[in-house]
Amino acid sequence: MAKLASQAPVPVFVAQGDDAPAETARLCLNSTLTIVETPRAAAILLVAGTIPASLIPNLHRLHDQLPHPRATVFWQAEPTDLLSEAVTVRNDDNLVSVLTDTRSSLLSGSHGTEADLLPDAPPNEWRGVGSHGQGGKGMMGGTPYGRPMAMTAADFRDGLELDAYTADFGPFLPMFPPGLVLTLTLQGDVIQKVSVVHLPFAGEGNAGAALLRLLGLPALAKRLLRGPSDDADFKRLIRLSGVRAAIPPGLGCAPIGSDVRERFERLTTDPGNPSKVHVDGVGLGDLLIGLEWHEAMLVLNSFDDESLRAICANTSSPELEEKNGDSMDHEGHAGHMS
Amino acid sequence: MTFAPALTTLILFLAIGIWIAAILDAVFYRRISGQGGVSVLSPFYAAAAHLSRQRLTTEAPDRLNWYLAIAGYLAIATIGLAVVPFGPETAVIGIKTSVVLWGACESLVVVLVFLHGWSPNSPLALIGAYRYVAIGLPIMLLSMFVLIAAALPARSLDLRDIVASQEGLWNIIRQPLGLPLFLLLGLSLTLRGPFDYADSADLAGGTSVEDSGANRAGWQVARLAMLVGFSAIAASTFLGGYLGPILPGIVWLAIKTLILMAVVIGLSHLLARMPVARMLGLIWKFLLPIAFVDLLLAGLVALA
Repeated sequence: MAKLASQAPVPVFVAQGDDAPAETARLCLNSTLTIVETPRAAAILLVAGTIPASLIPNLHRLHDQLPHPRATVFWQAEPTDLLSEAVTVRNDDNLVSVLTDTRSSLLSGSHGTEADLLPDAPPNEWRGVGSHGQGGKGMMGGTPYGRPMAMTAADFRDGLELDAYTADFGPFLPMFPPGLVLTLTLQGDVIQKVSVVHLPFAGEGNAGAALLRLLGLPALAKRLLRGPSDDADFKRLIRLSGVRAAIPPGLGCAPIGSDVRERFERLTTDPGNPSKVHVDGVGLGDLLIGLEWHEAMLVLNSFDDESLRAICANTSSPELEEKNGDSMDHEGHAGHMS
Repeated sequence: MTFAPALTTLILFLAIGIWIAAILDAVFYRRISGQGGVSVLSPFYAAAAHLSRQRLTTEAPDRLNWYLAIAGYLAIATIGLAVVPFGPETAVIGIKTSVVLWGACESLVVVLVFLHGWSPNSPLALIGAYRYVAIGLPIMLLSMFVLIAAALPARSLDLRDIVASQEGLWNIIRQPLGLPLFLLLGLSLTLRGPFDYADSADLAGGTSVEDSGANRAGWQVARLAMLVGFSAIAASTFLGGYLGPILPGIVWLAIKTLILMAVVIGLSHLLARMPVARMLGLIWKFLLPIAFVDLLLAGLVALA
């Protein structure tokens, strides 16, 4: 089994930090690696760049979501205290060979799997008043283990009382720009409230490839990462894919001045010269509230990093001000999707 | 063909079909992304890699339904293939209402995919589950219109009769709207490309975001099995199934199934996925009326 498994591409989950190497986004082009979209599918956690102190608890939580046998590799980053035994790769090392060697060692057993960093216990105390942690109003509510059960709240669109769900999302979710942590309140998959907990990292970004992945075209996303903006085949495939029809007209437009369609076309034809947007006074709430999840992800990934950071900075973030870098455990939140 | 040989044929057909589907998927993906070739053993390597990792669970999951969803999805795919005739009067499940049984299987896929998203007790998986139900319901309606239209020339709900009725003319010629519409159902049943609202990238894998180890391998195998089962059903309904000159019927069925698998996989890599609300509008306002026109035309031809 181990011999067969070692022939498969190495499944890697990338946790991108600040100042991550520019090659991080292009790792998926290496056929010996598979960049997976969930830590559950990974054997190796690759930490690329520096993780700020405020996000290290998220990294540790992420680490414990990888199945055994697992290993962590820090690339151009210092290991955290709890992961001091992890493999470290400097600038001049060959990352891919380190990753393949580490996976082989894991499979053969010569590299021991990493133990959990956090206790396998609820993050908060049991605080419900009922026998099963419930204890809000009737059958609803309560805060078992510090995570409030969804309570009904009026949908802002039509007043329909549905279960509102509030949680932190980010900073390592593959469909989020790296570093971004949002507190979102959802009714179903429609965004009702948004606040920023951590700004996205500054960097070059690959919004065009990210949008293609979100649109269900990962193979074309890879092709774009190879730099084919003048590739006639690529342009034809993009046209035939029906992307223009798939992106709703006007999505993510007001009051920015361009919509996702326009920004997508610029990103895929001229990635180095993204559409200029007017971000003065525009916050994420203006763009995301009322959108369903897929649309919201398309909007989030349609900006260059500089514009997105400006938009996030314009967004009300009372929690960020309160915490000022402290742990991001929220009493009023149902949990985290790191 | 008696039951035992038919069952053996089904198992071999399914196993080889899953293997070829996995290779075809990788070939299309790598070809479009501009990468090199694919080893024919790569599906086995991938399966071994999944199985070598731990099966993790989440906090307070619904374990029974988690396993049931994966096993049920595989079972439904197998039942779909079992109603397909491998030759005249030969099918593992040879009943007079095999089209109705397949329709029930389609509906159960919606339930099982929902359970797969519900069971891990995880928000992204749950969003994928609800979204799939929203899309799955109108797609099932579309499928029913198309299947009833295909059954009309045979005046039977038995897939064996539907294949036999195509002796002179395949349904793809008789009802040109049917197969393209039915292929959209295939994309939805197999959670692929423009109809993958359950396991999509915007949800980091959606209903399978929490799957690891054997669970992940099982879900991927079930998806491929559904692709094989669906393609064999479509080949029998629209391309004459086992009918063809010179070669044995099972070979013709395999060739037609392979072609349709390749078409579904190709479409899944080449067509963009739109947000749910936009897709719902497309299905209800455009695709369903077309499916109804398909049924209307088939009815008028049957009456003529």
